[in-house]
Amino acid sequence: MIHRIWWRIAWRNLWRSRRRTLLTASALAFGFVASVLMIGYMDGIVEEMVANGTRVVTGQVRIHAEGYEPERSIHDTMGGREGLDVEALLAAVETRNGVVGAAPRLYGGGLLSSGDETVGGVLVGVDPAREAAVSRFASALVEGRMPAPGEIAMGDGMAETVAVGMGDEVVLVAPAADGSTGNDLFTVSGIFSVGVGALDDSYALLEMGSLAELMAMDPGRIHEVAIAVEDIREPEPAAAAIREAVAGIAPGLRTEPWSIFQDQLYFMVNYVGAVNVYVAAFIFGMAAFGVANAMLLATFERRREFAVVRALGTPGGAIGRIVVYEGLLLGLISLGAGVLLAAPLMVYIHENPIDLSRYVGTYSFAGSAVRPLLTVEYSWAGPLASGLALVATGIVSALLPAWRAVRVPPADALANR
Amino acid sequence: MATNAATRSAADRAGPDGPADHAVRTEALWKIYPQEPRPVEAVRGVDLTVERGEFVAMAGPSGSGKTTVLNLLGGLTRPTRGKVWIDGLELSALPDRKLAAVRQNHIGFVFQSYNLLPMLTALENAEFTLMLQGVPARERRERVLRLFHEIGLEGMEHRRPFKLSGGQQQRVAVARAVLGAPALVLADEPTANLDSTTAEALLDVMQQLNRDKGTTFVFSTHDPRVMKRAGRLIRLVDGRIAEDVVRGGG
Ligand SMILES: Nc1ncnc2c1ncn2[C@@H]1O[C@H](COP(=O)(O)OP(=O)(O)OP(=O)(O)O)[C@@H](O)[C@H]1O
Ligand SMILES: [Mg+2]
Repeated sequence: MIHRIWWRIAWRNLWRSRRRTLLTASALAFGFVASVLMIGYMDGIVEEMVANGTRVVTGQVRIHAEGYEPERSIHDTMGGREGLDVEALLAAVETRNGVVGAAPRLYGGGLLSSGDETVGGVLVGVDPAREAAVSRFASALVEGRMPAPGEIAMGDGMAETVAVGMGDEVVLVAPAADGSTGNDLFTVSGIFSVGVGALDDSYALLEMGSLAELMAMDPGRIHEVAIAVEDIREPEPAAAAIREAVAGIAPGLRTEPWSIFQDQLYFMVNYVGAVNVYVAAFIFGMAAFGVANAMLLATFERRREFAVVRALGTPGGAIGRIVVYEGLLLGLISLGAGVLLAAPLMVYIHENPIDLSRYVGTYSFAGSAVRPLLTVEYSWAGPLASGLALVATGIVSALLPAWRAVRVPPADALANR
Repeated sequence: MATNAATRSAADRAGPDGPADHAVRTEALWKIYPQEPRPVEAVRGVDLTVERGEFVAMAGPSGSGKTTVLNLLGGLTRPTRGKVWIDGLELSALPDRKLAAVRQNHIGFVFQSYNLLPMLTALENAEFTLMLQGVPARERRERVLRLFHEIGLEGMEHRRPFKLSGGQQQRVAVARAVLGAPALVLADEPTANLDSTTAEALLDVMQQLNRDKGTTFVFSTHDPRVMKRAGRLIRLVDGRIAEDVVRGGG
């Protein structure tokens, strides 16, 4: 093929000014590495933000009765006042593809007292076994275990406020569904610390049946099913499958992914994504300037050669192609170097994340604790997008030089004018 | 001048006779460069006809317009006025793309400073036009090797230009110019950078190709010895043909 000669010329031209080519290529390669690591790092932050935002309590998908939010009235149970077949509902959810676990919950509010101390709190009726797959309460127990009937587990902040420890008894007073006020004695079975102040100070877990009894609610009445899914970043497909699966079990159920009920978090995730794009565009934009400059210089030095090739009958398009091929080849060389550089760096940082909490502490965002870890997440999307951007940069940078090369006036260039 | 020389006037040649019969024809060719303070009239009404197979030298003082005429004939510069036919094709009517095709298939160029492409080997330089013409690789190689053999470039095939002497480079350049089988080879002072022996050798090569393959040569020169070997000598003065002498043989 005749095109081979243009590739050959482009390739050899690149190596004529070896130093300049290597310099330009390494600038591009560093741009690629920076872009890949930055995207990987941001991905890590996003991953951690989503994990912290959804794995502590809410799960990535949840089901409520229509109208439960935002008042969260205790009367708005799923399936109305009759409730529903909780086991059937959970079975329908848990058998969906991509679902890791589902935890039913009954919510109430009440006062906890021990001795002279009283504190208001959120009471959550849970299925202790199922809760482990969805929330962090079980794994965050610093003492004891999840509550059995007649027992209570609470956050360490709350335990401190009411001055109770393991095995102590607390009095719970809670408004019930029938308008009465329920009260009962519970034994402290566990104390958890999930690391989020609001939860550790005011959440108390009870076994589902015990709380139902306290609140005078029939079994089968629950407020929520919190669901953990495999793909925490993209919960929508799982949510859609769940929505379809539970539609037949009771009317008026509302299934939402975290992108809806954690809209702040969703905003941040998108924001970080957009920042990534702009930073990458900036990196490659700067690189493009450098590359275009180097190539302009190179084409200017070769004006006479372009004129000769022109005089021999080469069409203008082919001359432009030589320069564009040079840009493309330069992009590919840089990509090769960039991959060789980025891959080990990525593995190293991934395996040895740097914990910055020593320097900056931890902070809480969207109701979740964030530990500042300098790490990179493995992904194909980041390197792929960066690689494409890199090669595109090579090509785009060559366009102006190519146009200049096409426009070299042959007679003048041959006369060195 | 030789006694059998005949002086032609441009008028003999002008007129509507079929330009396709000639290798080159120009009609009232002008090239004016817009320049401060006054435009430069580099070529002022050149009427020229070159028959196929002629071996034409163009002489004249520096600045007389030799390079400009050659550039006009090769379509590297567009005339301000007038027309150029190469192999019967009128160049001014052609868009750049077609002009490139005419250069590719009908014209070969040889330059004073060789102008081989430094990143290609001698063989690759020589076969460049054949490549443009889409001649298959094997045939290209065969034709290059045969010609290299004929013009004393055997063994130089894989050398880069910077490893060739000036005379060798210019022979590669001549090979590059003639291999595409053009009707016309334009050479601007092809021997100016060569010592006299090498210049003679190059002229031998050109003359041999002219004789054997019938390739038309038009070249400019300052060297009286080179002029002597031309079958026809055109003298340019101030952008006009001052003298046009044909000698027998050539
Ligand atoms: N691109 C240009 N712009 C302006 N003037 C030009 C240009 N090209 C040629 N000239 C002028 O046109 C005239 C003819 O130039 P040309 O190069 O054709 O002469 P020449 O006979 O080849 O001279 P030499 O023997 O020195 O090579 C000169 O006066 C030159 O300065
Ligand atoms: Mg000249």
